[in-house]
Amino acid sequence: MMVQTRKQQTFLVTGGTGFLGSHVAVDLLSRGHRVLVLARGRSNSSASQRMEQLLNWFGIRKDQRMDLKILQGDLNRPGLGLDPRDARVVSRETDETVHCASDTSFSPDRREQVERTNILGLENLLDVVRESPCRALHLVSTAYVAGKSRGLCAEDFGQVREFHNVYEETKFRAEKIAAEHCAVNRITLYVYRPSIVYGNSTTGRTTLFKALYYPIRTLHFFQKLYTRDILENGGKKARDMQVLLGGNGVLHLPVRIQSSDECGLNLIPVDHFVEAFMAIRRGCPEGGVFHIVNPRSTTISRLADYTRRFFQLEGVRAVEPDEFLKQPRNGLELLFDSYIRYYGPYMQDRRIFENSRTSAILAGQNISCPEFSYQVFATCMRYAVETDWGRQL
Amino acid sequence: MFSEQARQTAGQCRHYAMCKIDYLGTGLCRSGEENQYVSHFPQGRMDIYHALCRGLVPITRGLVEIAGSCDLCGICDKQCHFVTGMRPVEVMRALKTHVRQWLEQGNQPVQAASDPDLEAMRRIVGDKWASNDPAVLLTYADDPFPLAGMRTPRYVALPKSREEVAALVRFANTRNLPYVVRGNGGSVFGFVFSDGLVMDMNRMKGIEIDRENWTARVEPGVTSFELQKEAVRHGLRANTAEPAATVCGNIVCTGLFSTWSNAYGVNADTFVDMEFIDSRGDFFRLNDPLAANAFCFEHKLTPAPGICTLAHVRLHPSTEDEEGLMVPFDDFEEAVLFARELSTRRIGLALGVLGGHYLSTFMSPSAELADKVRYGLTHALGLRYVVFMVGDRFAREAVRSMREFVIDSKLFRMLMLGLPRLGDDEWLDLVSGMHTDQPPYAILLRPEMYSLLEAVLRPSPETAAQAVDEDLQDFYAQLYARPQMTDMVWLNMFRIISARMSRRKHMFAFLVYVPLDRVQVIKQICGQLGRIADKYGIENDYGFLTPLDLGKRAILEYDYYIDHQDPLEKEKIRKALKEFEPYLDNLSASTKGVKWLKYIFSQGCARKEAFLYT
Ligand SMILES: Cc1cc2nc3c(=O)[nH]c(=O)nc-3n(C[C@H](O)[C@H](O)[C@H](O)COP(=O)(O)OP(=O)(O)OC[C@H]3O[C@@H](n4cnc5c(N)ncnc54)[C@H](O)[C@@H]3O)c2cc1C
Ligand SMILES: NC(=O)c1ccc[n+]([C@@H]2O[C@H](COP(=O)([O-])OP(=O)(O)OC[C@H]3O[C@@H](n4cnc5c(N)ncnc54)[C@H](OP(=O)(O)O)[C@@H]3O)[C@@H](O)[C@H]2O)c1
Ligand code: SF4
Repeated sequence: MMVQTRKQQTFLVTGGTGFLGSHVAVDLLSRGHRVLVLARGRSNSSASQRMEQLLNWFGIRKDQRMDLKILQGDLNRPGLGLDPRDARVVSRETDETVHCASDTSFSPDRREQVERTNILGLENLLDVVRESPCRALHLVSTAYVAGKSRGLCAEDFGQVREFHNVYEETKFRAEKIAAEHCAVNRITLYVYRPSIVYGNSTTGRTTLFKALYYPIRTLHFFQKLYTRDILENGGKKARDMQVLLGGNGVLHLPVRIQSSDECGLNLIPVDHFVEAFMAIRRGCPEGGVFHIVNPRSTTISRLADYTRRFFQLEGVRAVEPDEFLKQPRNGLELLFDSYIRYYGPYMQDRRIFENSRTSAILAGQNISCPEFSYQVFATCMRYAVETDWGRQL
Repeated sequence: MFSEQARQTAGQCRHYAMCKIDYLGTGLCRSGEENQYVSHFPQGRMDIYHALCRGLVPITRGLVEIAGSCDLCGICDKQCHFVTGMRPVEVMRALKTHVRQWLEQGNQPVQAASDPDLEAMRRIVGDKWASNDPAVLLTYADDPFPLAGMRTPRYVALPKSREEVAALVRFANTRNLPYVVRGNGGSVFGFVFSDGLVMDMNRMKGIEIDRENWTARVEPGVTSFELQKEAVRHGLRANTAEPAATVCGNIVCTGLFSTWSNAYGVNADTFVDMEFIDSRGDFFRLNDPLAANAFCFEHKLTPAPGICTLAHVRLHPSTEDEEGLMVPFDDFEEAVLFARELSTRRIGLALGVLGGHYLSTFMSPSAELADKVRYGLTHALGLRYVVFMVGDRFAREAVRSMREFVIDSKLFRMLMLGLPRLGDDEWLDLVSGMHTDQPPYAILLRPEMYSLLEAVLRPSPETAAQAVDEDLQDFYAQLYARPQMTDMVWLNMFRIISARMSRRKHMFAFLVYVPLDRVQVIKQICGQLGRIADKYGIENDYGFLTPLDLGKRAILEYDYYIDHQDPLEKEKIRKALKEFEPYLDNLSASTKGVKWLKYIFSQGCARKEAFLYT
């Protein structure tokens, strides 16, 4: 007979329908914990239906779902909009809270909404768990709370004065609010600051096709568009854009992307994020701030190289800014330029995220961030194309 | 046996009379053209079938003749579909089938008994042109206005000349017979109904262009579409609004406002003179020094000066280099201020501020596509509002020097002919993922993007035609192959797409003259009308705004949308009326520059200065 030595822990996870929240929730389940997931319904599907769909995607068997309870709710509403029975479950059973839900929009005209979710939503959550036995708060923040800081960004609650956008700013403010609340209420606070998270490094699977994926998806769209134009419509539009299809099936797509080799993207796969999250929780009972980042950035030039190889393209390349003085941007490049400029802080990042604490914990458990190799890239892109960039998930 | 589907379609006829003008070059319903009564046009047959289903009209001789005179040519399917998305031929077929089966069962149609009054009127207008057949009368008894019920006249007469109109008035006076004059009934405000006689002006179609004076003399049956066509033939342009509205009726009823009013004015600006018949049956001209003063304005509900038998309207020059232009805006206030600036600086002729809702509705050949591309236009492209302008080369250059991003005629054509692909999910995903600190149009409307957009949209008449039912696709492809169908100037002059605004539901429009320098007042009106509608669960949206009189004033349209056959929706409007009426009444009485159109109705001949600046 098995003797249960430890009481089963109950985690409240927010953002259960999201990319990171779902991965964390599923991992906790697989470790035998009980998980209460906060999720929103949509007009055409309830919170439960959405979560069920995700669990199917993860391949979680029905019997493995016994320890999962889906709570329909919304951060923006007082009491998280929970029905009284669910609220009682939360206040009686929550041992630890993992806060992954967030509005990740950068757009200035969505400031009000972003603030509501990321600030007020956190306060609503803290109010709800205040009544519970919860002793640890795991706040999923971002490495980019560093804002416009330059150089080395410390792994602590340092001061930051300027931000690139409302997302960074509210994530920063949320950390402060959480810190104050946890100090007063004697809750252990873990602040996880991942950089850019992409799909699983061995399977390529993901539910989110933004950040890394978006610009590549755009190139893939152009590729399909002009290949069709050439094969089906005589290729006039392709010629206008100087797009050519070689006999070997390689498409010449003239897209120059402004960049420099001193900067790049800091990318981590989702499996590493989850593994690191669990290792930190296990290995650091006193909590703290943790940069979950890749020690090596990926340059745009390398990304362009991978993209050319995988998608059988030519002409996509990273160039120095003065290239554009010689030859102005074409339409395709303009689209790219606007994107790259907007996401500049993340795509052309020169900052270094100090991570000595995290790496010490991870090293102690033999965990390291997988390299963003061509193999990994290809695996992720294969999955992206197979699922039509998530549209066929 | 009635067909439920046909009944439902029949009940949805909007009464905008678009089947009475040949606006697609299909020709007109032959039966309508020959018989002229509304009952013989598709609109009338829709009403008749709907009434038959509800047992509101017996099968009369007239009805048998009306049903029989439809040869199922299919013209109305094209015409009606273009604006409403409905397919009336199914109703026409159901009507014919029903009547045929009923006769086959040995039934005899009812013959409406003649009477001395009818005989007397027939002596005035000719036997064919006065009727008391219940099926004919029924088509003059109602419109989708939700706040009034059916009112069936005793007679309908279609005079051919001013003398016949005068004779009818005098005759009606001797018999104490109430009467009302009807243009094409497109006011849809319950105005053209009477318990006595309806005078339908549809046979008075004379147009005479005076090239030297830049004017036209039009009889009361002439529609805006017909006048515009004639004016264009002479290289000129008329200020026209709804194409099926009669020019005389439109001037008298609303004062005829349109986006052209920015340059050509409203009300008395539109005409040189008007001829009326007064309540005694006597003729008078407005310019006659002894005539009652119709140029003044009274802030109260006032009857029309009489029956207009001739409008002597102004025409305007146009230049070869005129084109349309749209300037996108993210924000309403910014768009309004820009339109005002153009008007103040006298840049452009036609001017208006449209919302994304109108834009997608006008541009789409089907309601489904309009719904689908609304998001694409407003969010993915960022065209929440556009300032629409028609201007010559200099005006367009001026606008380009003021705003970096515009949709010119070439781009508009591309968007219109490639619209089904603008709603393509993959493209929309891509564009909406492209968050930047600028609105998307700031990138997508750059000249460098033109070729890419073209590759994405693959614009062609055939692409545009994909949006409609398969059996109509050939027709639409041919239609969209005509340059005018994608030409902003032509479309705005002939206004054949504006009735699409009520494609999903009938529209209950609020028109309010507003002070253009006080945007807050305009926003407040939209906000309050929106709040009232929301409170009662009525769909609502901003319509358009056109500057007037060098940007000092404007006319604002805000719309409520209702299913006029749904009693619950009518009830909602009735309840909302208790709030919007006092609100707009008070505002019109107390705020300088605000005047609800309710007070202008029938004072359309008044000088605009008499109500805009009081
Ligand atoms: C979709 C839609 C959009 C519209 N947009 C506009 C717009 O932009 N601008 C605008 O000005 N209006 C607009 N209207 C309103 C409509 O066009 C006007 O009310 C116009 O008067 C309708 O013309 P009609 O010939 O059908 O008039 P009817 O509806 O037949 O008559 C309207 C009124 O005028 C009277 N009348 C008609 N003929 C005469 C005459 N010969 N002598 C005296 N009185 C007469 C009638 O008795 C009635 O009171 C719109 C209507 C619709 C349905
Ligand atoms: N992915 C990355 O690359 C990355 C990098 C750094 C940091 N992060 C951080 O990681 C966290 C998770 O991000 P993610 O990538 O998983 O994003 P995501 O997939 O967009 O998930 C966000 C989640 O938050 C939920 N949410 C948003 N507003 C809510 C509200 N008002 N009430 C309840 N739930 C709400 C969403 O619910 P719906 O599904 O109902 O919208 C969704 O489940 C965020 O805090 C983010 O800042 C992510
Ligand atoms: S189908 Fe009948 S009602 Fe329609 S246009 Fe032809 S003849 Fe007229």
